[in-house]
Amino acid sequence: MQESNGINTSVSRRDNAIARFSRDLVITVLVVVSFTTLIIVLAGAPPLAAYYHIFKGSLGSWVKLGHVIRVWIPLTLCTCGLLYTFRIGLWNIGVEGQVIMGAVFTTYVLRFGMDGRMANFFLIAAFTAGVAGGALWALIAGYLKTKGGVNEIFAGLGLNFVAQGIILWLIFGPWKRAGIASMSGTELLPRELWLSYVSTIRLSPLGLSLALCAIIVTAIMLRYTKIGLCLKALGSNPNAAHIFDLNTRLYMLLAMVFAGGFAGLAGSMQVTGVYHRLIPAISSNYGYLALLVAMLSNYNVWIGPVVAFFFACLNVGSIQLPMMLQMDSSLSGVIQGALVLAALAVHAWRIRARRIAEETWY
Amino acid sequence: MKRKITLLLCVFCFLFSLAIVQSGYAAAADKPFTFGLLLVGPYNDHGYSQAHYEGGEYVERTIPGTKMIYIDKVNPADRPGITIPQLVDDMVEKGAELIIANSDDMKDGIREAARMHPETDFIHISGDDVITGMAPKNLANLFGRMEYGKMMAGFVAAMTSQTGKIGYLGPLVNDETRRLASSCYLGARYAWETVLKKDPADLKFQVTWIGFWFNIPGVTADPTQVAQNFFNSGYDVVISGIDTTEAVVVANQKIKEGKEAWAIPYDYVGACEGASAVCLGVPYFNWGPGYVSFIKKSMAGTFASEWLWLSPDWKDINNIDTSTIGFARGGALSAESGIALSAFISDLGAGKLNLFTGPLFYQDGSVYLKKGAVATDKEIWYMKQLLKGMSGQSSAK
Amino acid sequence: MRIELRDMHKHYGSIKANNGINLTVEEGTIHGILGENGAGKSTLMKVLAGYIPKTGGEIIIDDKIQDYHTPADASRRGIGMLYQEPLDYPPLTVLENFMIGQAGGVSNKTLRFREKLEDLIRHFNFTIDPDVRVKQLTVGERQQLEMLRLLSLGIEVLILDEPTTGISDLQKEALFNSLRRLASEGKSVILVSHKLKDSEALCDRVTVLREGEVTGSMEKPYDANELLSMMFGEPPLPSTRSPVEYGGTVLSMKNISGLGERTGLSRCTIDVREGEMIGLAGLEGSGQGVFLRIAAGITKPTDGSLSFFGEDMSGKNLHAFKKAGVVFLPASRLEEGLMPDLSIQEHFALKEGGSSFFVKWDEARSESREKTEKFRVKGTPDTIAEALSGGNQQRLMLSLLSKESTLLLLEQPTRGLDVESTNWVWWHLSKYCLRKTAVIFSSTDLDEIMSIADRILVFFDGTIIKDVKRDKTDTKELAKAIAGKV
Repeated sequence: MQESNGINTSVSRRDNAIARFSRDLVITVLVVVSFTTLIIVLAGAPPLAAYYHIFKGSLGSWVKLGHVIRVWIPLTLCTCGLLYTFRIGLWNIGVEGQVIMGAVFTTYVLRFGMDGRMANFFLIAAFTAGVAGGALWALIAGYLKTKGGVNEIFAGLGLNFVAQGIILWLIFGPWKRAGIASMSGTELLPRELWLSYVSTIRLSPLGLSLALCAIIVTAIMLRYTKIGLCLKALGSNPNAAHIFDLNTRLYMLLAMVFAGGFAGLAGSMQVTGVYHRLIPAISSNYGYLALLVAMLSNYNVWIGPVVAFFFACLNVGSIQLPMMLQMDSSLSGVIQGALVLAALAVHAWRIRARRIAEETWY
Repeated sequence: MKRKITLLLCVFCFLFSLAIVQSGYAAAADKPFTFGLLLVGPYNDHGYSQAHYEGGEYVERTIPGTKMIYIDKVNPADRPGITIPQLVDDMVEKGAELIIANSDDMKDGIREAARMHPETDFIHISGDDVITGMAPKNLANLFGRMEYGKMMAGFVAAMTSQTGKIGYLGPLVNDETRRLASSCYLGARYAWETVLKKDPADLKFQVTWIGFWFNIPGVTADPTQVAQNFFNSGYDVVISGIDTTEAVVVANQKIKEGKEAWAIPYDYVGACEGASAVCLGVPYFNWGPGYVSFIKKSMAGTFASEWLWLSPDWKDINNIDTSTIGFARGGALSAESGIALSAFISDLGAGKLNLFTGPLFYQDGSVYLKKGAVATDKEIWYMKQLLKGMSGQSSAK
Repeated sequence: MRIELRDMHKHYGSIKANNGINLTVEEGTIHGILGENGAGKSTLMKVLAGYIPKTGGEIIIDDKIQDYHTPADASRRGIGMLYQEPLDYPPLTVLENFMIGQAGGVSNKTLRFREKLEDLIRHFNFTIDPDVRVKQLTVGERQQLEMLRLLSLGIEVLILDEPTTGISDLQKEALFNSLRRLASEGKSVILVSHKLKDSEALCDRVTVLREGEVTGSMEKPYDANELLSMMFGEPPLPSTRSPVEYGGTVLSMKNISGLGERTGLSRCTIDVREGEMIGLAGLEGSGQGVFLRIAAGITKPTDGSLSFFGEDMSGKNLHAFKKAGVVFLPASRLEEGLMPDLSIQEHFALKEGGSSFFVKWDEARSESREKTEKFRVKGTPDTIAEALSGGNQQRLMLSLLSKESTLLLLEQPTRGLDVESTNWVWWHLSKYCLRKTAVIFSSTDLDEIMSIADRILVFFDGTIIKDVKRDKTDTKELAKAIAGKV
């Protein structure tokens, strides 16, 4: 038995992992559905109709699918980025601010091209700047963590506030529209600087391919490269870094740069592909949502985009609730919140159950 | 096993429900004229958005066979990730043939959506795309001449104020808001100098901007705080330029504390409800008549890109069927001020009085209207600064 | 209390950790559970303590079948377990840890608990100070604390899982005395161990497990050979070691001082030569750990100078130590040595280093196959480190060592290993000495040090109190030095 121990363990672990994940997924969905159903019923609306409208409102037509994908793109980019930081065990809650700074840097570059000439040059420069902006913002949190010993959660939250402050100041101050001071945003970009899209299905092929690339690159990075392996190792046990001569600080910063870069790219997408200007809520909370997506997908690079798609559907589809069922519009927010809570509860339960189940023996 | 059965049941229930809803749809489809309404705030905000919502209801009542669909809180703070073109796509899919966007900051989005849906008619409230030539053929602009309402508000504020200090709770800064704040000031100045014959130097008119049409915590200045500051520093009348009712609420608190405080809300005919002790009245929009005219044209296929700036019906400014701009008097308005207001309104209506008459100067001292000159519509619409005599920023820092 | 386990089963998927175990523990006795690593001892005890659920079987307490699912339930029924790794809160003080789980309500009962704790400490002749933070205690002291806490909860059956691992002989003696005392007071003690000597010294009766099943049981007096054959099937071979010629100086420390553990390290001066096998003796936490970590470049010395092959290493980072060929294997393998979530194959890929961007998985896989076979690690390339048993973890760590190492620093390399694994480890390490690698190891087992090391350093209170060749000393002299008498 001793001899076969290891082999059996690894095989059964893998089988178990898949079985467990599917089981958890079913339970999560059930809990989420029953919880939200309860809320909808309490609000006096027909739950089945509500679900139907959410479904039809998100996947009911090609145009709607296009809008879902528009939400899915930045969400997936952020999720991909977060996989790097979660790998090494960092809670990059500053991803929200990184999206914002990506958008700010993007806008900064685009403001030099407002006459619409050399649009492609400016777009490429703007995306590069967006990635740099997000990465820079993440690097600050990473630096505070590695040099100053500041917990990345607190550093990230602080930097989120700073980023929000910066964007408000820019919109209300230096980057305001001529003669106007409004929180509604900066001057609209000329059409040349809009990310091209297929207007019949409201889909930007470039954005979609960027997101798909992000998934593939992340999958390759995490699975097949030294960097990915080292991130996983350090996430598993930073105290053993000395055995393998790994530079923990370097990899932490690297993970932050990746996370921030992808988040910054999401910010660039929001500016050039969605709002065509800088608005205070440019990040649309996708950063925070992506944290949730990453956790719910069990930090898996292939499941992540699926979960992100689900949240994108919910985001787009839930607008139907006030429109079709006259549910008080704040209720769709409550439902989203309830969903998040239910999902987190299942997540916590899952971790607890796993801890017990995986007890090793001697 | 038990779980599997439950799951299966759930799936069945779900599919079944789809069938029911689907058939319900088919039965109801005898094709009314559907129009969509995009509201920037909550449909029941007792302010700007509710006025629009009730305008839509008025259309449903007045033109048989029309049906309103609406979506409220259309702003990125309340609905992160939502865009105007996305909502328009959805409304068009639901059969909307005319879509009204009620807020200034939907300007870019609604223009983009109008280009995507050339078969659908669009009205952007408060915008100027038609004047600037940026509007596609299926996009019209509609607004009411709220200057008159605001003049009345300023008039009663100055008639009432004991301290001569009037606070204006401004939203964001643009042509429209400068225009409305200035109109208030003109009304107030007229009451102060011409009716009450008081010293012009004793009238103080302060404008404080919060940054948006309503409070967005963490993003805008807090309007409750701004109103508090007004009352605490000697201002006894606060005129609201924002979509929500903070000014009235704060004034109510202040009189409970024993202070003298009055407020004038904005936008919605019912905004004074429950605040008769402090409310001097409310200049309001009555969107019904404007909506009806556009929707009738759209139904008849004669919709055209035009810029419509509707005046009050001077015969009866509170006539729901004819007057786009009205002024509902509040419980705190004294009888004497009321009489003066009636005279003021009739002078305005008769054309005896035009407050946009020179000489008027901008805040920086430059000439807005030469002596004797009467402002054209465009001069009023595009007000580049606040007027001389008002304090507060003319544009952003 | 009398405990009876009937036909106990605990299965992990297809693996049967416990496969139909029957066991009776009488009241007022010390019952030993013997078996090598992976025999299913800990699993059985964790089931009994309510820490993991059983797959099948019955637990009968005083003739009544009991069904419970949490450690709290178990302790309400009078069963408490002392785990291999202490389950305490290191940042809190001893007293605070003692109060956890006992002090309910809002009123401050510190004084009452202090008295209770001090009484218990005196009762068992323990030496812990109630006001010291737990993170400053040695493993043995933390064990004492946990034991007192359990007893104050009213435990009638105390389970100890490998309690003598990583504690000093003195602490072991104190522990054994306290356990005998408990038994004489009518409590039952279950001792899980793979150490024959401990069981022989302490237990009234032992039950031997192998591969999840009971292979026999025996009462005092014991026949060691028979017990060994129950445990292993056949008795393991003792270790052998051939003499080595020493080379030049590898490591040279002059007046090195450093912080860490409780005592730190002060003014340590030694030279280590190629091919030497040096054993570090002393009570656990007397400075051995700090010494090893300073030599490894993990802890920076506060004073003194350190050189490798004559090259001064002061101010150099960990990477420079690595480059000089220094390798450190800590005692807590999963905490400081291995990556628990990584597979064996991933460990080898990680070790590979190199400058290529992509991981060469093929090479890592074949290397891990080759090395696991050579080092007798029971696992496939895909087995994760956490799923390996202690001995296999240790072998995996050794298999990751580079052959070019110049200095091996090993902290309690055989901690928690069965005899067979221990012998294998020493056999393997002796090969390093033949290649002129210097090996320094610490151990709490004086016999082990005597039989393995060529040279012995005795640590006492943060200083090296004795530095002697093995053939110039004896156990008695060393034991005195460990107690501080030179």
